[in-house]
Amino acid sequence: MALTGLQIFKLLPGTNCRDCGYTTCLAFAMKLAAGQVSLDKCPTASEDIKATLGAASAPPIRGVTIGKGERAITVGEETVYFRHDKTFVRPTGLFRMIDPNRLSDGEIEKHLDDWATIGIERAGELFRVDGIAMIEPAGSRERYARLAEAISRRGMPVALMASTIDGVRSAVEKIKDQRPLIVPSPGVDQSPFVALAAEFKLPLVITGKDLDDVAATAVDAAKHGVTDMLLEPPAKDARELHQNLSRLRRGALDRIHPGLGYPIFLRVAAGEFDKVVIGITKFASLVAMENAAGEAWLPYWTLRQNIYTDPQKPLQIDPSVHSIGEPDENAPLLVTTNFSLTYFIVSTELDGTGVPSRLAVVDAEGMSVLTAWSAGKFSGEKVAKELRRLGATEHVKHKTVIIPGYVSVISGELEDALGDGWRVLTGPQEASDLNAFFRDVWQPMMNG
Amino acid sequence: MSLKLQPKKWPGKIREVTLGAGNRQPRTVGGGNGLPLHTFEADFPHRPVLALEVTDINPPRWLDIVREPWEGLLGKPADAARKAAEQYGADLIMLNLMGTHPDRGGRSPDQAAIDVEAVLDAVRVPLIVKGPGAGAKQNDVLARVAEKYHGEGLVLHSACQEDYKTLAAVTVAYGHVLVSESPIDLNIAKQVDILLSDVNINLDRVLIDPLTGGLGYGLEYTYSVMERIRLAALGGDQMLNSPMICLVGEEVWKVKEVKVSERQEPRWGDQETRGINWEVATAWSLIEAGAEVVVLRHPDSLARVRKILDAWFAEGASNNTR
Ligand code: B12
Ligand code: SF4
Repeated sequence: MALTGLQIFKLLPGTNCRDCGYTTCLAFAMKLAAGQVSLDKCPTASEDIKATLGAASAPPIRGVTIGKGERAITVGEETVYFRHDKTFVRPTGLFRMIDPNRLSDGEIEKHLDDWATIGIERAGELFRVDGIAMIEPAGSRERYARLAEAISRRGMPVALMASTIDGVRSAVEKIKDQRPLIVPSPGVDQSPFVALAAEFKLPLVITGKDLDDVAATAVDAAKHGVTDMLLEPPAKDARELHQNLSRLRRGALDRIHPGLGYPIFLRVAAGEFDKVVIGITKFASLVAMENAAGEAWLPYWTLRQNIYTDPQKPLQIDPSVHSIGEPDENAPLLVTTNFSLTYFIVSTELDGTGVPSRLAVVDAEGMSVLTAWSAGKFSGEKVAKELRRLGATEHVKHKTVIIPGYVSVISGELEDALGDGWRVLTGPQEASDLNAFFRDVWQPMMNG
Repeated sequence: MSLKLQPKKWPGKIREVTLGAGNRQPRTVGGGNGLPLHTFEADFPHRPVLALEVTDINPPRWLDIVREPWEGLLGKPADAARKAAEQYGADLIMLNLMGTHPDRGGRSPDQAAIDVEAVLDAVRVPLIVKGPGAGAKQNDVLARVAEKYHGEGLVLHSACQEDYKTLAAVTVAYGHVLVSESPIDLNIAKQVDILLSDVNINLDRVLIDPLTGGLGYGLEYTYSVMERIRLAALGGDQMLNSPMICLVGEEVWKVKEVKVSERQEPRWGDQETRGINWEVATAWSLIEAGAEVVVLRHPDSLARVRKILDAWFAEGASNNTR
């Protein structure tokens, strides 16, 4: 029977020692009740409560960490089928596959240098290559170990896509402290890999010809001492992939079989764009993909950002006046809302113009420009009040404020509300047109 | 051992709505009794359909990447529609009458009707007619078109909470299908459907447009609102079980990530493929969330989404294979 947070709280030590990562035992109890953490995070929990909560206290999908240090990635720990019920918590890890059978070591090193440093910022998130999936090179164990180490040296998590047990062992021995993920080729006998993962306490991918087979193999691996696993469902086409991902998630949440309560691994060949899209929207925890370039990664990262954002709470930033470059009293003053996405886009664009400016980010309860306007949070009067409150009006001599093009309708009201000789200038609708706007409207106006 | 994975059964199902009549080859959408694409446990008599967008005027803000496949045909809606249906494989056409907007030349309802007629003559697939946006002009244009081409089962885009009566009346009188739009809000979606049934529209003639945002620009909200609309419908809500239509192309092809060239952002990769990927990813996520009619701009996006759907709903596959 499921216990409430309060019932669980009564069983906890009650010392608020924070070892679990929560500030109070009560907060931890609430998370336990929601199935979002597991009891073993509290080192002083009594045997009593362990017995009481039993298996039910473990989250339905185990959290598995791959890699070490700052770039380590934890996947799993999901508790819902629909993100509006409680949000998805562990964004899909996106790994880049490398096939050393087609590249020289020098080429690989160059790729690694490159991929380790990719960092694209979007709406407050840093998009990176989350890890490298290294295919086992034919013929040379030393080479596999060397390449695995080359990845680890750059701090990136490693998945070892192994075809032989000897090959992967040599790599594992070299980087065992880095918690690599062991990924046996589909179809091979998994038992030696199970033994290896158990020996080094490493995470392992379990495959199977169907879900029954996957689940049974996982249970068997657990018996042999493997605790951290990812399941790889068969996925010959998009439809089968979707079906298996859906059934795996549901089976795990309903706890119909102990072999299903693990995150999901997916490998994707070059050009299978749709499979990655399905994986990200539908429950895949870690995707290792062959040759995909920026034109695929950018939509993947963005989709993942969307799917793993909590729609209940729009990401917002604190209202304030931001300086772009080093603006003087003649620099343009612009206004936008405090929805992080909006702020991020507008400030990036302003940066790109090279024109020093000030951006007043007003409190609009974290809504986009038009949403805020329709909800009455970006009316002329509200904006005027915020501009005064933030002191935005004090920095500039020209007494002109530029508003987003989509809300040209507020310009009269805003002018009236600001009074004191202030002018309102309607900017472009899309922030990406700000460069042209400065060139064609703002600068001629200020010079003439 | 065998996993006890029970197929999930729902009390409700999606309404079947037939697009196109008269000289059109009709196309029915909806009818599914399970979560979107859950073909392994529910029955889907009809698959999602894909439309391409054609315009009455040369669209001033389309990017070169989406102009290229329509070279010489922009602003020639009949020729563009023919190419869309015959060559690009569109299941249906959306004629965007953007030129009727006062800021875009303000073409008259009669001029709009001429465009509609030309498209209707050029193709046999069902036609969505999109007005210039809520307001008096939209009503004039769509009412004129609806009356003149009665019986063609046109899909009129769109009515909203504040303004639905005119379009509801012509939909009923002339045998069309009406899109009811609502700004990413389940309650408003429901409210518009209630209002429409109050004025005696049979909801078998209604599609919901939840006004989607594109990938990276509001999809995080739309995705869940659509899922929730779907769940309400499957739970038995008769006022929310209309099939959903999403205008993906117009949301996608204005965002920064499709506009920036590879030269400006080398990390972002090839611009054309990136744009098409953006449209495919948006379209597919929305189909996952429950869209049954998806309107695209780039024919390559259509071809790619279509390929997935073809395999998914291959002969016999629309029924479940439990
Ligand atoms: C996601 C979304 C929501 C989310 C909220 C997201 C959020 N945090 O704001 C939810 C679902 C909660 C929502 C709710 C509502 N929404 Co809403 N929503 C959207 C949607 C799909 C995307 C908005 C978005 O995120 N845009 C991306 C951001 C980055 O855009 P942006 O802020 O405008 O910034 C761009 C430009 O304005 C410009 N810019 C920004 N700042 C500046 C500054 C300067 C100086 C310049 C020059 C340019 C500039 O640059 C940016 C990029 O180019 C849009 C439709 C759409 N496709 O755009 C509707 C939309 C904005 N919503 C709308 C409405 C009506 C509503 C509701 C009132 C509906 C309702 N009754 O429930 C509510 C209001 C909220 C409330 N009462 O709580 C309407 C507004 C209609 C109108 N024309 O006024 C829209 C347009 C949908 C529609 N077509 O009807 N919404
Ligand atoms: S670790 Fe245990 S005792 Fe310490 S605060 Fe957390 S729940 Fe309480």
